[in-house]
Amino acid sequence: MSTALAVGGKLLGPISPLTKQGTTVVVYLIAIFFTVIKPAITVTSVPAISASAVCMLIACVVTSVIWRDVSRWHLFVIAWAIDVVAFAALQYGTDGVDSVFAACVFAPLIALAFDTFRRYRVLTAICAPLAVVDGILVFVVRASILPPDAERIRDDVSFIILGLLAIILVMYLVRQSRLQLARSEQMLAVSLQHSEDLARSEARSREVERSLRGLWAAITEQSAIGTDVTGLIDAWNPGAFSMFGLMRDEVVAKRHIEDFHLESELLERASELDNPVGDSERSQGFAALVEGARLDSADVREWTYLRGDGTQIPVDLSVTARVDDDGATIGYLFVAVDLRKAKQVSRLKDEFVGLISHELRTPLSSILGYLELLREGGDAPLSEEQLGYLNVAERNANRLLRLVGDLLFTAQVEAGTFQLDERMQPLGAILAGCVESARPVATTAGIEIKLNVEDDCEASVDAVRLGQACDNLISNAIKFTPSGGTVTVGLSGSASGAVITVTDTGMGIAADELDKLFSRFFRATTATRNAVPGVGLGLVITRAIARAHGGDIGVTSVEGVGTTFSMTLPLLESQWVSLPIIGARP
Amino acid sequence: MTIDLLPLRVVIADDDPDIRALVTIAVKRAGLDLVDSCSDGTAAWESLQAHAPDVAILDVAMPGMTGLEVCRLVRADARLSGIRILMLSAAVADRSRQAGLVAGADEYFIKPFSPRLLAERLSLLAAGATR
Repeated sequence: MSTALAVGGKLLGPISPLTKQGTTVVVYLIAIFFTVIKPAITVTSVPAISASAVCMLIACVVTSVIWRDVSRWHLFVIAWAIDVVAFAALQYGTDGVDSVFAACVFAPLIALAFDTFRRYRVLTAICAPLAVVDGILVFVVRASILPPDAERIRDDVSFIILGLLAIILVMYLVRQSRLQLARSEQMLAVSLQHSEDLARSEARSREVERSLRGLWAAITEQSAIGTDVTGLIDAWNPGAFSMFGLMRDEVVAKRHIEDFHLESELLERASELDNPVGDSERSQGFAALVEGARLDSADVREWTYLRGDGTQIPVDLSVTARVDDDGATIGYLFVAVDLRKAKQVSRLKDEFVGLISHELRTPLSSILGYLELLREGGDAPLSEEQLGYLNVAERNANRLLRLVGDLLFTAQVEAGTFQLDERMQPLGAILAGCVESARPVATTAGIEIKLNVEDDCEASVDAVRLGQACDNLISNAIKFTPSGGTVTVGLSGSASGAVITVTDTGMGIAADELDKLFSRFFRATTATRNAVPGVGLGLVITRAIARAHGGDIGVTSVEGVGTTFSMTLPLLESQWVSLPIIGARP
Repeated sequence: MTIDLLPLRVVIADDDPDIRALVTIAVKRAGLDLVDSCSDGTAAWESLQAHAPDVAILDVAMPGMTGLEVCRLVRADARLSGIRILMLSAAVADRSRQAGLVAGADEYFIKPFSPRLLAERLSLLAAGATR
């Protein structure tokens, strides 16, 4: 930018004093030349001409002092004034007002007019009319003192008009050229700006390209493959290299994406979609592969990649369409994550859970079995006290067993291997069973337990699992309710289906903990503060059961007042049946 | 005239000696005749072939051969067609039970089991079966 300004300044900057003085000197020398060689030119005063030559010399000396230094302009104005005096002396020496060189006085004036410095133009504007006025004055004076001479009058008038025209023309030309210069200057600045912008955006795009290239090379754990609309590969990243062991040059523009897929899987998917093959697609298999990407923005599903050596790699494959500026699809991008490790981890986890479950249940089987034998006593019955100890041991062994069951169940829910055994059955009976089995514990804790069935209904549920869910809710309610409280189990119908509620008059749950209640191993502060036993799996399991039935569970609570858990189960209209209310107690 | 009923003959197999002892007690309480007690699947299969008992009580997870494998071998052998097989397993998932029943087990007991209930079940078997 600074270079450009320097160039612009050189082109459009002020004219140097030397140039101005040079023009004036050339005009002066021409006049002297004609005076010397033309006898027709009347020389009236040699001293005047000599004085004019001296003046011109002084002006040149002054100018040579300031040379190209435009900042010392006042010296130039002095030199210029001396120039004007030199021309005036020349005019006086060559027949005064009748001098043929009268117009030469305009020479320094014109030189002055060509300058970007405003002060010179102002000076020109002031001096030019003065010169013209001077001409007019000469004419008027001569017309009044000399006898009328048509030729002379014409000469004088022509001189005045020509002088005026010359000044106007010069001012006009100067103005035009200045405007043009200003325009070029502007255009130059604009184009300079453009070229700078271009350079900047080029640098930016290089930067973006560099980081994209780096990113592309850095993706070594995912295979990223780009194709055109026909599936012909045009991009192949290092991740694809490590997955298939093929170099970029071996596949780009040579192989199709389907070559790396299990054909049977593609055909199976194609028959599932039952789509006509589009014009641009090579095959039905490819159409099936990009179907999702063509309809939506991205499509992620499991596919099987096939290596050259026949190895199959299960992958999570995301297919996206590549579009041009107009939004037309120009190809597809296939980004795949190798699932082999994840599958192995999942299998190991299943094995581990199975092993733990087995290894914990086997010793528990012995403990519980032998405790039972002990209780039965055989020949020597146990004392009351011994039976009490036995009860404690049994209760705790059962607690351990439940915990193992819960852990195993949670693992099954996570692994997605948990299945329901659904049959049509009345919900009221299931709830009545749960309430009855909880009654002894509730009574011992001094808590009243009530069942309140508003509308009974039959639903397709897994009675064991649903019972487990309700048991969890009821045992929680009893655990968190102080002696003298009430636990109410309710069943009612609503627009969304059957609603099972378990309400207690317990200590309640802090509002900021309500949303964490269903996280694994979370325990409410009221639970830890009051040393209520548990590990934080019950509600996780309860929600998993509700969701497996297509329902869900919610909770409302007021600290110190009580808590209500509501489990909704979706029902069909026909499932609402009029049944006698079972097990409802006041 | 009295019908003399010999007690049913039982072979049990479990890799855990304590569980074996527990099952043994249940078998004795039910009044059955324990002919062999094995600690792995291979021994159990040999014993079953050798004794051709009336009842086999097999643990599922055993070294050598699993209870399911032994069960399948028994069901595939015509000479052993009369054996009633009772599986004991610590696996609770429904599909484990299904797998047991598919392999040819008559009963499927989940560990921990009650020795009293097992004895009752065996007594019922004894009462309902004649040799």
